[in-house]
Amino acid sequence: MRIRMESDEEADVRTDAGIKILAMFFVAVMVLAFTTNPIATGTKVGERAPTLEGKAYNGGGWTEFDMDSYFTSNWTKGDSNGTWMLVDFMDTDCPYCVRSADDVSTYSDYFMKIRKDGNGNPEWQGPTVMFVASATQLDIPGHESSRDEIIAFRDKTGTEECDGSSCATRPGAAHNFIYIDDLDQDNMKRWKVAGTPSYYLIQPDGIVAWSSAEANGESFYEAIGRLTLAEA
Amino acid sequence: MNQNLFLIAYALPLLFGLMLMTRAGESAGPSLAKRNPLLIHARRRHMLGLNLVALTGFVVSVHTLWISNKISEGGNVCSSATVFSCDDVLGNAAYNTDPVFGLSWGLIGMGAFGALLFITQSVGKEPDALWAEKYLKYGMYMTGAGLAVIALLVSYEVEMGKICQFCTMAHISNVIALFGFWRATQLHDKGEWKDDAEPTKVEKK
Repeated sequence: MRIRMESDEEADVRTDAGIKILAMFFVAVMVLAFTTNPIATGTKVGERAPTLEGKAYNGGGWTEFDMDSYFTSNWTKGDSNGTWMLVDFMDTDCPYCVRSADDVSTYSDYFMKIRKDGNGNPEWQGPTVMFVASATQLDIPGHESSRDEIIAFRDKTGTEECDGSSCATRPGAAHNFIYIDDLDQDNMKRWKVAGTPSYYLIQPDGIVAWSSAEANGESFYEAIGRLTLAEA
Repeated sequence: MNQNLFLIAYALPLLFGLMLMTRAGESAGPSLAKRNPLLIHARRRHMLGLNLVALTGFVVSVHTLWISNKISEGGNVCSSATVFSCDDVLGNAAYNTDPVFGLSWGLIGMGAFGALLFITQSVGKEPDALWAEKYLKYGMYMTGAGLAVIALLVSYEVEMGKICQFCTMAHISNVIALFGFWRATQLHDKGEWKDDAEPTKVEKK
């Protein structure tokens, strides 16, 4: 039997080669599995948030927005020094976005530690949460927007109209956070945002901690209070 | 560790593989034969070169996938302010997976070069098999189709204004492999495929 195996001319090197290549493939996969811990990019909780790009208006002018520069890659849970990010996808002509602008005004000032108590200390004692709005233009008649309208919505100035009324008279105070021009919907498509307003709370390491799409009725400010204090 | 050192480490077998498959390999035949007498034959040198190129492509693909994974963890592997910044390319979620199945390009490269390695290994060991020539053609078609994928990925890089060095190394491996498979079919046609074919021109002198 042994002799027959050694002189067997029916053997095919393809089996041998196939086994070798498969073994090599599995070794490579094992090396990757043992040395890395990949995190998928997406907008579900636990995934790494996609990038937000575009020109951003900060109250003074339009500058390039670099989302990654705000993150701390080596942030660990429990570290209260990291800055969280609340991303608000909105449309200046969306009725619900206009109505919720009041809540956004109140809570952005609070969580960004702009609102101070009587002693001049921030009212919010948790980690800073930076608010960022990505202002898009939905493909709905009457939702034609522009950079001027974004400025008007943020600052409550000008003569632009937001949802049929003057942007200057929208509910709430002027906003003190960055507005990114996403009129071309690039960010919205990358984040697969189904509608506006949509909110995402991002950990200081860039991982999605909460999303309004998976919130089951919890508001963004409740989520900030619950999550940032729990992780700090 | 400086990632450019890896690039050099990948470039060496790639260049040596290319050399074995060209006229330079023909000139080096006699000296190579001193170490391994079998390398006096054009076909054996050629298949060794092709194996090296496919193996390099496979390893570069694994490294690319490793970098992608590390970036997803939040790490910086090869980020740079210059145009050569694989972090920016591999970390861009809009482009770092294929548009149909959402698979990482590194994993696709592993699969593609793994298949090419299977072909080069099989044909190298059984060059006179009935299926050998057919397999070489499959390799040529695969690497030819790879050109379309490379064109897509280069268009992404142009759009981003950044170049991923490791991806480029894998692209070069594919192009050299395409040349290798094409030349292997030429060796067949010219009758230089068999071991008992006439030795190289250098050998005849």
